[in-house]
Amino acid sequence: MLKFQFDSINMSQDEIAMNAIKHALKALRKRHLLEEGAHAPALIALSRPLASQGSVWKEKVENLEVELQQYYKAQSRLSDQLVVEVADSRASKALLQEKEATILDLQNELTKARDECAQLTVVLEEKSQALELVISENQELKTQFEEMTVRAKNAEAENKTLIDRWMLQKMQDAERLNEVNALYEDMLDQLKARGIEQLARQQVDGVVRRSEEGAEYFAESIIPHGSNHKIPAHEGGCAAIVFENNSGRLVSGGQDQTIKMWDTNTGSLCHTLHGCRGSILDLTITHDNKSIIVASSSSSLYVWDVSSGNIRHTLTGHTDKVCAVDGSKVSRSHIVSAAYDRTIKVWDLQKGYCINTLIFHSNCNALCFSMDGQTICSGHVDGNLRLWNIQTGKLLSEVAAHSLAVTSISLSRNGNVLLTSGRDNLHNLFDVRSLEVCGTLRASGNRVASNWSRSCISPDDNYVAGGSADGSVYIWSILKGNIVSTLKEHSASVLCCSWSGLGKPLASSDKNGIVCTWT
Amino acid sequence: MMDRGTKAQKYVWEGAIPLQIHLHESEVTTLPPPSPALILAPRIGYLPLLVPQIKPFFSSSLPPGVDTVWFEYKGLPLKWYLPTGVLFDILCAKPERPWNLTVHFRGYPGSILTPCESEDNVKWSFINSLKEAAYIINGNCKNIMNMSQSDQVELWNSVVNGNLEAFIRVSSKLKLGIGGDEFSDKLSSLKSPQSATETDNTGLVKTGRIPVRLYVCSIHENFDDLEDAPHIDSWDKISYINRPVDVLGEGKCFTLLDAVKTLLPEFFAEKSSTNEDISGAEVGDESRSPSEHGSNTGTAEEVGETLCRQEGSDSLSDKAEIKLLRIQGIKPKLEIPFAWVVNNLINPEHFLHICVYVRVLEPITI
Repeated sequence: MLKFQFDSINMSQDEIAMNAIKHALKALRKRHLLEEGAHAPALIALSRPLASQGSVWKEKVENLEVELQQYYKAQSRLSDQLVVEVADSRASKALLQEKEATILDLQNELTKARDECAQLTVVLEEKSQALELVISENQELKTQFEEMTVRAKNAEAENKTLIDRWMLQKMQDAERLNEVNALYEDMLDQLKARGIEQLARQQVDGVVRRSEEGAEYFAESIIPHGSNHKIPAHEGGCAAIVFENNSGRLVSGGQDQTIKMWDTNTGSLCHTLHGCRGSILDLTITHDNKSIIVASSSSSLYVWDVSSGNIRHTLTGHTDKVCAVDGSKVSRSHIVSAAYDRTIKVWDLQKGYCINTLIFHSNCNALCFSMDGQTICSGHVDGNLRLWNIQTGKLLSEVAAHSLAVTSISLSRNGNVLLTSGRDNLHNLFDVRSLEVCGTLRASGNRVASNWSRSCISPDDNYVAGGSADGSVYIWSILKGNIVSTLKEHSASVLCCSWSGLGKPLASSDKNGIVCTWT
Repeated sequence: MMDRGTKAQKYVWEGAIPLQIHLHESEVTTLPPPSPALILAPRIGYLPLLVPQIKPFFSSSLPPGVDTVWFEYKGLPLKWYLPTGVLFDILCAKPERPWNLTVHFRGYPGSILTPCESEDNVKWSFINSLKEAAYIINGNCKNIMNMSQSDQVELWNSVVNGNLEAFIRVSSKLKLGIGGDEFSDKLSSLKSPQSATETDNTGLVKTGRIPVRLYVCSIHENFDDLEDAPHIDSWDKISYINRPVDVLGEGKCFTLLDAVKTLLPEFFAEKSSTNEDISGAEVGDESRSPSEHGSNTGTAEEVGETLCRQEGSDSLSDKAEIKLLRIQGIKPKLEIPFAWVVNNLINPEHFLHICVYVRVLEPITI
């Protein structure tokens, strides 16, 4: 250790400082020697041998471990091998057993197969015998088969010829069918043409009619189907009914010698005209609706003034019952009447006496004026229809209308068609100009009741109404000629039918005096 | 500054305390109990860094469970964030070699110590101290904050491994130089006669603030030998002063004594006056002479001892008396230039740790 002694007062600061520093350095060195310097080597020495020893032992341990591991590995390898071989030996043993078993099985199978073989040889012999039999049978069958084939060929040929014939027939049939079809088409065409014709005619009719006189009254007639009113009008039969011209009012005359006027809308009685002696057989109204002329069985005619209800004239001159009367459609004064004294008389109502008398050998049952008032048509008991000129009183023409007596005669509104009814139960339609029959109407149950059964034509000239003895009224269509309606209400024979000029209603009367109106 | 550090720095960095570490009885589970571990603890290091070395010695005899390691000296749990050398200096007034410590792996005294779970806690404690120091020196801690990750790791590794060269290399980037210290140069110049007339210094250091941690242990009873120094059984007996020292560029050399005066003015306020009174009469009084350029020379130990005796004899008239001042395990003279001390004896976190035993007189006794 060093010691510094500086006692000098002049010692500079630096020196003092340097001394202090040196001292400090020394102290540091001393501290170093005391602490780390002294202990470090010992500590290092202590720790080192341990470490080195440890390392030697560690090495040994590692070596031994490696060895051990190798041994383990070898052992594991051997044990693996052992396992494999044991498994192999087991497998081979199993295989051996299996094979022994299969050998036994195969031996058994072999013996079985031998047995089967013996059986099969027996069966084979049987079968071969059977085969021989079958072969012989087969030959027989073959011969049969050949026969059959021959027969079949013959049949086939026959069949062919038959088929040919059949085909021929068929073709003929087809031809026939074609012809029929052609015919049918023709007929269809004709029908169509006729339909067109008819339509045209109807239209033309309508047009013509509308331009005629009295067209304002024209109304289409309705086919009556049901009873409107049933009026007990007269006692002991009603033989004559007539509608006023273009009016719904009906005038009826009966066996009870009275004239009655009815409102057909209500069915009520308007007037009753008395004064006639004898049952009323026929009546007519002048075209101006002012006078009613009645033909009675008392051989005289009575003329009523409708407005006053008084008899204006009693026309006498006939010697037997007057059965028919009609008034001119153009003149107020001219009327004709027919009686069972074989005369037809023409009367002038202005003068009140007969202006002409026509005599003929057969009694007249019904008559009517033509449209122009110059000609009268009369139906006679001998079944003939005759036309007369009233000026000259000469017979203009004559035609046989019915085989029995004519009971009714009426002119259509246009004056071209004439309807006659006869006791032969027919209704004939005549063309006035040529006097040819243009239609015949009949019904299975129709029987004309009396010599004076009146039928009528509808105002539009399309229908005809006629009564029958069994009480039914038939409506025919003129164009089609068939029955369009049958009216059954009367219990006695229907004597007279009259159609209103308005188109409806139709009125009919019977032997019991009952008047029915139909719509 | 030399790249390899001064000789004193080398001593500081190489400094290590031999430790004899015992496992606490309560944690011994084997028979016989494990033998104590002998180990060298670097002075600038921290106790938790020793754990990996210690653990193998005791691992076989520890009870099962999670280990939380802490150390104890004579019943006093040791603060892990203080450098080991500082702990040794403050707690062993008379150096005890090897130092007997007890290690605990269980029952961490959380009420006394801050928790330390891993080396990282120590590292961050170190970095924080470094930041603090940087702030004191430069007024900011940008350099530390901007330190790259690799530099940070290298710095820490240099501390852990005691690698002075690496430390100087990294810390030079931090620009925490406290200023030249011509005394080191002068010392080397003295040793090398060639450059003897190199400098005529003024004994100045550059002005600056020096981060200092001062540990003051106040003692009431007097003692002559350090061995008689009372045992410290509680951290309350050690006052911890964290105060920067302003190095003033005065005309004279700023000594360690000046620094201590600024740090502990309460002890010197009256003392200085009395010192000056006495100075004339008594020359060589270590504690007062530096201000008057008076010095007794001798080895640190001897000086310390004489100083103690002298102080003891003189202290009756004083309120307080510095019994012991220790830096890095040595007792420097108080007239030593503070600049040299700072440059050579600082710890790696740039703090200067000073341990002081002060005898304080009861006012009643006066």
